[in-house]
Amino acid sequence: MGNRRIRRLARGAAIVWVSLAALLAVGTAAAHHSFAVHFVGDKLIKVSGVVDEFSFHNPHGLLVLTTKKDGAEQVWRIETNSPNILRRRGWDETSIKHGDQVTVEGYPARDGSNSMRVYRVIYPDGHELVGQRPDPGVVSGAD
Amino acid sequence: MRIRTRSFGVAVLAGAVLAAVSWGALAAPSLEGFWAVKFEQKRSGQPLIDELPKAAVLINDTGAGELAAGDFGGLKLKPAAIEQVRNYNYKDELKRENTCNAPSVAFFMQAPFPMEIYQGTELIVFKMEYFDLVRVIFLDGRPHPPKSAPHTRAGHSVGHWEGDTLVVDTTHISPGTFMNNGFNHSDALHLVERFRVSKDGKTLWLTQQYDDPEVFDGLAARYMAWTHRPGEFVYPYDCDPSYGN
Repeated sequence: MGNRRIRRLARGAAIVWVSLAALLAVGTAAAHHSFAVHFVGDKLIKVSGVVDEFSFHNPHGLLVLTTKKDGAEQVWRIETNSPNILRRRGWDETSIKHGDQVTVEGYPARDGSNSMRVYRVIYPDGHELVGQRPDPGVVSGAD
Repeated sequence: MRIRTRSFGVAVLAGAVLAAVSWGALAAPSLEGFWAVKFEQKRSGQPLIDELPKAAVLINDTGAGELAAGDFGGLKLKPAAIEQVRNYNYKDELKRENTCNAPSVAFFMQAPFPMEIYQGTELIVFKMEYFDLVRVIFLDGRPHPPKSAPHTRAGHSVGHWEGDTLVVDTTHISPGTFMNNGFNHSDALHLVERFRVSKDGKTLWLTQQYDDPEVFDGLAARYMAWTHRPGEFVYPYDCDPSYGN
């Protein structure tokens, strides 16, 4: 094997190694999750039930709701947009309480699971808490 | 007589230099205060956008906007980046260990959260609400550190004033999300930013210009705008990983 060939092979191996290293460097990073990737932004669904749990911490608040469908209980995991954003709209840790009977309207999960991003939480007396407003250009009937 | 004339000339020159330096410091527009994201139907900072290189791809995902999976806003990805996106598992983002993994300056400036700016003549500090991040921009003429220096989410930023525009150059940015849809930038990302305040002091505009030859061809850019809201403050973010699965 000539010196020139050895040098060429070494250069090729170096290029492959550098490309692989660059790929690994960017491939290991993970991010705070996207709305668009995980939820359907142009569709709204509604579920009604009893609040089992409400937490109000960044990056997302979480509402766990038990509903009944055809007599069977279902558990819904419903996330809010950032509590910091909601705090400026009047929400706080006590806005939703264990045992509250509510209807939640929101954006369904793309994977079809019992989860959604909240648009609004509606109470039997009509008052509501607004989370992530629909884009008026995308969802019909959005406020 | 000749000596006296020369001394007078030197004194005038020194005075002019001092005046120019003082004027430069005094004339710098104020970025100080609390700034909330401005959601615009029509971009009020179009003149700043027009100053971007014509070849730059303007990514339309700032504020509450986001690109869907597989949409890279018109950027041409390198083969290694295409492979990385292909192997990206979105469900990993929902894991507890990734919940509080903050993005880099390539993504956190465009998030829909406010910031506070503290401005001096030799440095400017950005206190971001998003993930409680902090940026320091050096205006004292120092260079970037050597290539081997650590990379961080905020990177290393040096800035200078060009008239009414603060120009900031940032390197040493740790890899992180670039579009929040599985496409990440590398640690070779180079960022150039231009900040400008409107004449009435009520609006702050920013363009970010990126090149990262390891993951995409050419130049990319983003545009952002904020409204000045005196008397308000950023809230603590205090990210809680227990939200994750």
